[in-house]
Amino acid sequence: MKRKHLVLLLLVGCAFVPQLEAQIRHVEMRVEGMT
Amino acid sequence: MKQHLQRQSGVANVDVSLIDGKVEVTPREDGPIEPAQLLKATYDSGVSVAELDMTVTGKIVKDTSGNLSLQVRPNQSFVIAPNELSKSLEPLADSATVVTVRGQLYKKPVGKQKKADASTPLKLLILEVKKE
Repeated sequence: MKRKHLVLLLLVGCAFVPQLEAQIRHVEMRVEGMT
Repeated sequence: MKQHLQRQSGVANVDVSLIDGKVEVTPREDGPIEPAQLLKATYDSGVSVAELDMTVTGKIVKDTSGNLSLQVRPNQSFVIAPNELSKSLEPLADSATVVTVRGQLYKKPVGKQKKADASTPLKLLILEVKKE
């Protein structure tokens, strides 16, 4: 029973750990001819 | 141009600095952004792009020919141009490790070089590997 609680606690805890999600975070362009 | 870029899918915000000639695009967290479309949309608005840099988080994958790519989504990856920094990423190839890098995806050819063809695949030149 204790082990079951521990596993549940770990699973719930994982949901709150910030995930490093694959994505484009920022795009910067240097442009010419802009008025 | 700002409106042109803001209409692109995956774009959350566009900041234009007329003084520096800089355009900063903030992607939406929930939608994929396609840099090649941003380049096209900028050209379509009558402005020439000199350089496109981006910060990307993804996994390093190696194709059958040994080329490294940064995979962002199952259907979106960027071929990495070989340099010293890309060599440091090689051990991470095909692992579950997620890395964040800053890289240059496009730079306008200088001098009399042929204009970059739109069909030419863009390569990501790694400028910085960010520590997480």
